Amino acid sequence: MPGPRRRLLGLVAALLVLLALLVLSVMIGSTAIRPSVVWDALFHPSADIDQFAIRDYRLPRTVVGLVVGVALGLSGALIQALTRNPLADPGILGVHAGASFAVTVAVGVLGVRDIRGYMWFAFAGALIVTLMALALGSTRHGRSPVAMVLAGVCVGAVLGGAREALQLTNPDAFDAMRSWNAGSIVGRPLDLVWPILPFLVVALVLALAVSGPLNAMALGDELAAAQGVRLAHTRVLAIIALTLLAGGATAIAGPISFVGLMVPHVARWIAGPHQRWIFAYSVLLAPILLLASDILGRFVMHPREIPVGVVTAFVGAPVLIALVRRKKASGL
Amino acid sequence: MTMTPSRRRGAALAATLLSAAIVLTACGGDSADTEEAAPAETRSVTADNGTVTVPAAPQRVVTIGNTTLPLIDMGGKPVGVTEVGASEIDLIPADQKATYEAATSLGSSGDQVDMEKLAGLKPDLILAQLPDSEFEQIEKQLTSIAPTVFWGLDVEWKALAGGLSEAGNVTAGLTDQRAKFEAKIAKIKETYGKLIGDTSFVNVDRWESSDPGTFSVADFGCVEIAQDDIGMDFPKAAAGADPLGWTSLPFEQIAGLSKYDVITYPVDAAGKPKKSFAPVVETNTWKALPAVTSGRALGVFCPGNNSYGPVLQYLDSLDAALASLPAKE
Repeated sequence: MPGPRRRLLGLVAALLVLLALLVLSVMIGSTAIRPSVVWDALFHPSADIDQFAIRDYRLPRTVVGLVVGVALGLSGALIQALTRNPLADPGILGVHAGASFAVTVAVGVLGVRDIRGYMWFAFAGALIVTLMALALGSTRHGRSPVAMVLAGVCVGAVLGGAREALQLTNPDAFDAMRSWNAGSIVGRPLDLVWPILPFLVVALVLALAVSGPLNAMALGDELAAAQGVRLAHTRVLAIIALTLLAGGATAIAGPISFVGLMVPHVARWIAGPHQRWIFAYSVLLAPILLLASDILGRFVMHPREIPVGVVTAFVGAPVLIALVRRKKASGL
Repeated sequence: MTMTPSRRRGAALAATLLSAAIVLTACGGDSADTEEAAPAETRSVTADNGTVTVPAAPQRVVTIGNTTLPLIDMGGKPVGVTEVGASEIDLIPADQKATYEAATSLGSSGDQVDMEKLAGLKPDLILAQLPDSEFEQIEKQLTSIAPTVFWGLDVEWKALAGGLSEAGNVTAGLTDQRAKFEAKIAKIKETYGKLIGDTSFVNVDRWESSDPGTFSVADFGCVEIAQDDIGMDFPKAAAGADPLGWTSLPFEQIAGLSKYDVITYPVDAAGKPKKSFAPVVETNTWKALPAVTSGRALGVFCPGNNSYGPVLQYLDSLDAALASLPAKE
């Protein structure tokens, strides 16, 4: 297990990579714009047409990439710690299924076509379905992570079927949802992010609060209880946090499933089993993966762009396989 | 099981009575049935699925895929249709909308046709325009129900309109529309010939299904008429390449439209930017384009490009837009 100094150095290195990607994301895109224009766009704004491209498109998508990445990484770390399942991602509790179903209803039944409108349906759908999984997974003996996951998977399967039925009877809705389903951060203005941000901040605070108890719970419920951890309380707070994080990210960008699965693994390999370190690494590594994928997606099929959700799967899967082959898979 | 002689006799009697009943029923058809059985007058039409023998005056026509609105535009009244998008239906005249709504809906698209319902309509002609791959899957079922005339998606709109009018026996409407079309084209060429020759145009669009934050340089639809029939200089895909309009471009690339003299973009019947295109005109980049600031971004109404009626409306709109163009500096 790496020592605290190495962990800290790794964290600083990840922070520097993230900062470099933030700059790169604003500097380069599918249109060639001189660095001096980028500088002026940020610090000497004028009505120059190229400056609008920086301020109106590249800057917002960079911020969206950062926010969505942080939310997905942290929610993935939370669900894996909570369920003690290294294959868990936020979708396992029905977050994506709930959001997708709600968006399908909004687009196909209610005729909502603007992302500003259906974003809230996605957020509400994610929250409601996760709460349903929480309620269905509660037994007389308390809330078991296995029961909650099973409930989430079942609710997700039912809603997935209902969503597909709705989309089959309404091909226009299917078309309109195509990009949201693929997971994209293009065309998301900053005013889409601000209303969701307070929820994400609350979730971040909750995640920090439960990181200690989750550490103890990794040793087993009995040992954690013996150390004074309130198991049910911790689980509920963790679920609220991860639902707000994953629901918020999904509402803005659509379902991006691979980031929340892969990043906590990498974080665990680097930082060891301590949850606070895993959370800290996940918060930095997930936006690194998301922004790097987004930048790549701007060029591989120029002049068209590939949604970031597609690129993260293409980039992330081989990286994860390579890491698994090089290192022992991280248990929990 | 064995039968007694009396049971055998009973069974034979029952069989005889049943046979007699069937024969009497068959012979007892009314005179209308007898008339239906008589061979109707037919003729041959040629389309993408070869030469098809169709009724000379079809009475119960079913339209599948993109054939519905063109046939209705020429005065046809299909008894069954596949659904047309609400955005397209909103653009057609009220009488045509009523005809569309009176027809039985057979499914949401060409590849979702309810064959049982279709057969129940007893059509005497089926007209279809679909992707080839979709037609191949349903061809046998369609032809077993009624003579089927098919066109693929790459057929030129005038050829489709001509073929539909011939097969559906609505040629009277077509002749008048075609004459108006040719006169309008000639008028636009004569009035704006010099301007068209000196100007580089670009046509942009955005659809309900477009990804947020993206638009397209559209080279299909009504713009093909402006390009091919009038001779306006619009960007076009290289031969054999996918149409330009299939590529979604991020809003960041709106600035690239600066190199064109005139931009055409889609508007509704009232002249406002089409709902799906509105996000483009709201961007600062669009507002800063030289063509926009100099009044050389032209909203053009295109209610459809598969038959002469909507094409004539497009040409009227294009004519008015070109007339409003300020002189080139």
